[in-house]
Amino acid sequence: MEGAHIILFWLALAAYGAEVGFRLAGVAPSSAWRSPVFAGVLLHAAFLGVRWGLSGHAPMAGLFESLTVFSFCCAFAGLVLCSPGETDAAWKPLSILVLLPQIGAALIDKRITPLYPALDTPWFASHVGLSFLGYGFFAAGLALGIVYLRDGGDAVYRAAGRSALYGFSAFSAGMVCGGIWAYYAWGSYWIWTPKEIWSVIVWIYFATLTHLKFIPAQEGWPGWTKRVEMGATAAGYGVVLLTFLGVSLLLRSSHSF
Amino acid sequence: MAPWRFLTSLKTCAWAGLAFCVAGAVGSVVMGRYPGLFADMDAQVFAGWFARKGFADPAPTSWLYGLLLATALLAVNAACCTFDRLVQIFRGTVTLHRLLPHVMHLAFLGVVLSHLVSAVYGDRIPGIAIPQGGFAMVGGTGWAMRMDRFDSVMAPEGYPKDFSATVTLFRDRTPVARGVVRTNAPLFHEGYGIYIKNFGTTPQGSPYAVFDANRDPGAAAILAASLLFTAANLLYLFPPRRNDA
Repeated sequence: MEGAHIILFWLALAAYGAEVGFRLAGVAPSSAWRSPVFAGVLLHAAFLGVRWGLSGHAPMAGLFESLTVFSFCCAFAGLVLCSPGETDAAWKPLSILVLLPQIGAALIDKRITPLYPALDTPWFASHVGLSFLGYGFFAAGLALGIVYLRDGGDAVYRAAGRSALYGFSAFSAGMVCGGIWAYYAWGSYWIWTPKEIWSVIVWIYFATLTHLKFIPAQEGWPGWTKRVEMGATAAGYGVVLLTFLGVSLLLRSSHSF
Repeated sequence: MAPWRFLTSLKTCAWAGLAFCVAGAVGSVVMGRYPGLFADMDAQVFAGWFARKGFADPAPTSWLYGLLLATALLAVNAACCTFDRLVQIFRGTVTLHRLLPHVMHLAFLGVVLSHLVSAVYGDRIPGIAIPQGGFAMVGGTGWAMRMDRFDSVMAPEGYPKDFSATVTLFRDRTPVARGVVRTNAPLFHEGYGIYIKNFGTTPQGSPYAVFDANRDPGAAAILAASLLFTAANLLYLFPPRRNDA
């Protein structure tokens, strides 16, 4: 069973790959429910559920599980925000953002590893799960921001605004869960590591971004317009990537993925 | 009034947010460049550490000055914005959806101020190593801690699956608290949490465990403010009713 559940992972990867192929070929499904990415999300959810059952813990520990959960959350956020119609064009870049972490996960050791005792708590799943859900919405924000910068469109603008708000909300709740967990596990809700600092950077970045849409564009300085706002929404994904992968791989931090 | 406009402005929020991000990003790199300077940052409360290291070595800690100033400006900006807007809201139609962002502002202020309380009045007593059956003083609390028993469950591969210690706190030879401390389950007494951090075996072959004792007087308020923020944030996700818009 432990080896068989990996088949679901590969099937999800194939579905995401098919979605990218169709999108790059200019083929769009008639509805989200008939799209390869929807099938991929179902297969992916089944994979994560089986792995959770097999390992006895939320499949969010280590780089492999982090990457595949990241991919799942990007696909889920896309299904929430990008429907056939004006926002459908965002699936072209977003399907690539869904596929890439899944490919990254495919290249890594997939064996189930034991959980360190400090991670053996419901706060682990809630902290990591909500954080990745936020990351997923921020990835959708990149795709929607790109589409807005290229084609414009009010529906795309509104969806991109929702991506920042939903992502910020999920990420905030994840930070609260992480603080509670850290207080019980390590004796303080806050420790000074690069990961924690970058987490607050992500939070402040998107908190600020959700405020900026209320600055009237005609005030001039700093020249805030919808295009700049969409550029910042898209750039937020870079901040997320630095927090998720950059800090873990480039900087020394006791807080892993 | 120009100062009031500055303090309530969304542009102030934007620039303070940007300053926070830049200072934090610089800090995350500088921390790795000066490990000796920042290694004991979590071993004491922030105010004590900053008073000792921040002023003595201002160059590598300058990002912290930026971080603190940006945080202070964001907090003042949120407070002034909320005061300003609440006056307008209560003069007009008061709706939940219009109030929710300001509930989030107040919760954010609650977190910042409570963290300030913990950073000044908290306590950190790291690295209390006690062999099984032995005693150790718990910093300046006046308590002596005895580790009555240590238990660990090891996996066949050699990693710990679970470990816990039964401890008793004494004041003037009188037991004042007793309990089991395990990962994710500290023992709380008089505002202090006793945390098990590590374990091993002494050269004589008996088990020992290493504990931290921490006090965060702002923690409960931070939890309350964080939950308030989360609740307001989730409610804000629901679209306003027609007459709320």
